[in-house]
Amino acid sequence: MKAISEFKEIVPGKKWFETLVTRVFFFFIGMGMQTAYRIDPDVKKEVDSWPETFSFCMSVVGGPSMLMLKKEGSFQYLGEKEVFYADVEMCWKNITFAYLVMTGRISVPNAVYHNRQFVRGSLLYTMSIIRIMNVVQTLLLPNFIARFYIKEVPKLTFKKLVNRAITYVNIGYGAIK
Amino acid sequence: MLFKKNVVIPEYYEFFNSVKIVSGYKALETIPFELSRLGAKRPIIITDKGVAQAGLIKHVVDSFAGTDTVIGAVFDETPQDSSNVVVNQIANVYRAQKCDSIIAVGGGSAIDTAKGVNIVITEDTDDLLKFMGNYRLNKPMKPFIVIPTTAGTGSEVTMVAVIANPEKNVKMVFTSELLLPEIAILDPRMTMSMPPKITAATGMDAFTHSVEAFIGTQKNPISDAFATAAMELIRNNIITAVTDGGNKDVRLAMANAALLAGLAFSNSMVGIVHATAHASGGVCHVPHGIANSILLPYGLEFYIGKSDKSPKTKEYIESLLMHVAGPEVYVQTPPAERAAKSIAVIRSITGELKKLCGLPVRLSEAGVTEDKLEIIAKTALNDGALSFSPVEVSYEEALKILKAAY
Repeated sequence: MKAISEFKEIVPGKKWFETLVTRVFFFFIGMGMQTAYRIDPDVKKEVDSWPETFSFCMSVVGGPSMLMLKKEGSFQYLGEKEVFYADVEMCWKNITFAYLVMTGRISVPNAVYHNRQFVRGSLLYTMSIIRIMNVVQTLLLPNFIARFYIKEVPKLTFKKLVNRAITYVNIGYGAIK
Repeated sequence: MLFKKNVVIPEYYEFFNSVKIVSGYKALETIPFELSRLGAKRPIIITDKGVAQAGLIKHVVDSFAGTDTVIGAVFDETPQDSSNVVVNQIANVYRAQKCDSIIAVGGGSAIDTAKGVNIVITEDTDDLLKFMGNYRLNKPMKPFIVIPTTAGTGSEVTMVAVIANPEKNVKMVFTSELLLPEIAILDPRMTMSMPPKITAATGMDAFTHSVEAFIGTQKNPISDAFATAAMELIRNNIITAVTDGGNKDVRLAMANAALLAGLAFSNSMVGIVHATAHASGGVCHVPHGIANSILLPYGLEFYIGKSDKSPKTKEYIESLLMHVAGPEVYVQTPPAERAAKSIAVIRSITGELKKLCGLPVRLSEAGVTEDKLEIIAKTALNDGALSFSPVEVSYEEALKILKAAY
């Protein structure tokens, strides 16, 4: 048997690329949600039905996260803050799972069906958040890509195209800022 | 795609259940031993008046005779809709009587209340609201045994508790693997006194659990094994359980079926049937088993109608025929007709139960008025079960299902 001193701890390696992709995705989703609240009446209606100071977080266990906060008539993307408590937290169990979803290799519904993702916190608002995420993903992504992320992609309309352009401009502005 | 073509294993799945199951005649008599194995000597029994008046607690108390395990207290005033107020009352009794473990005896309400008491005691709090939601609990719970007195909910093996908070006017939902009891005890004596209509409603509740688990989006080989076993037990026993409630073998079979269905659906999840049934219960107080029984065929028809979006679900409904009707009917039915035949068989079971004990087969027969359908549909859209539906469900589609079932 090896000597006790020969047993070394193993520090986990980093998954830089996967983490970077996930952070970028979180930024897009966060800015997309913030913009959707302003331009999409369905999203506004959903968010307005939540209590004041409602917080929603998307995160990877032991990895990146992003926080959204409803406060004083706005729905703000607060970026990667240290989160002690969020009313609802959607967590991926591992950065690899998040990366597979972000790159379209597992659809979001399948990630849920597989249990690669879980919700921590109040279940009362989960469906409302999922509906908002669906709208945001159709704003961010062309329909042929969006079908990897949501169950049913709505038809493309002129209004949607305009909203998509506004969302991209806001994301660009947010990135520069 | 959950199951790849010609591959019977999903590309990824998880299955969890840690409950020890004790099933059989005189199964209650193992309680003192099981408690001692868990290091407990002084349990509190949580039940409701109906169970106590039916004399069922006597069976539990008698099972302690000849041992040195003392029952710290019996709380038999759990209301039909459990609340945080009752949970705190029971926790006070638990502390005053220096109890060290919990035994729940009853249906969904008594079991959910006991789960709530376990949270309050373990977390040393009187405010359940702080722990509401998914995965909010971290500490290992007190030893917990569940003895169901209905054969339907499967609560003895599920990790969910629903407790009302009348002050804030919310139904608090708690889900955590820590809420699972250590032991579930199925003893036919505990379900023998169930009247025929409740036997039918709870049996169809279990049947719905197993059907939705079998076509569920998190289905996997283990949940399928439990779901199909449950369906076959129910198919073979539900009518006799209603007509001959004193038959111990049949009662034990139905109790096992409900447990198996609970194991299946808590891992495979449920969908549109449960979402609309929860909403019908919330808005019009339709008992959960009855709502499930009514809405099951309509939910399946909805999935068949959307088979272009989820062809696999239709295939699962076709295979369902093997388990709801048996292999003879399955092979005699042409493949193209199997999905519709599955639904027809389910309708024939509920139709027979209606003749035997008056089980409602339409929402209008269960106290739902037409003007409430819209609010039920809206409520259903916010039900968590819909996130596991294989297809997107719109308000109009939910309303159409409800109108068809009305």
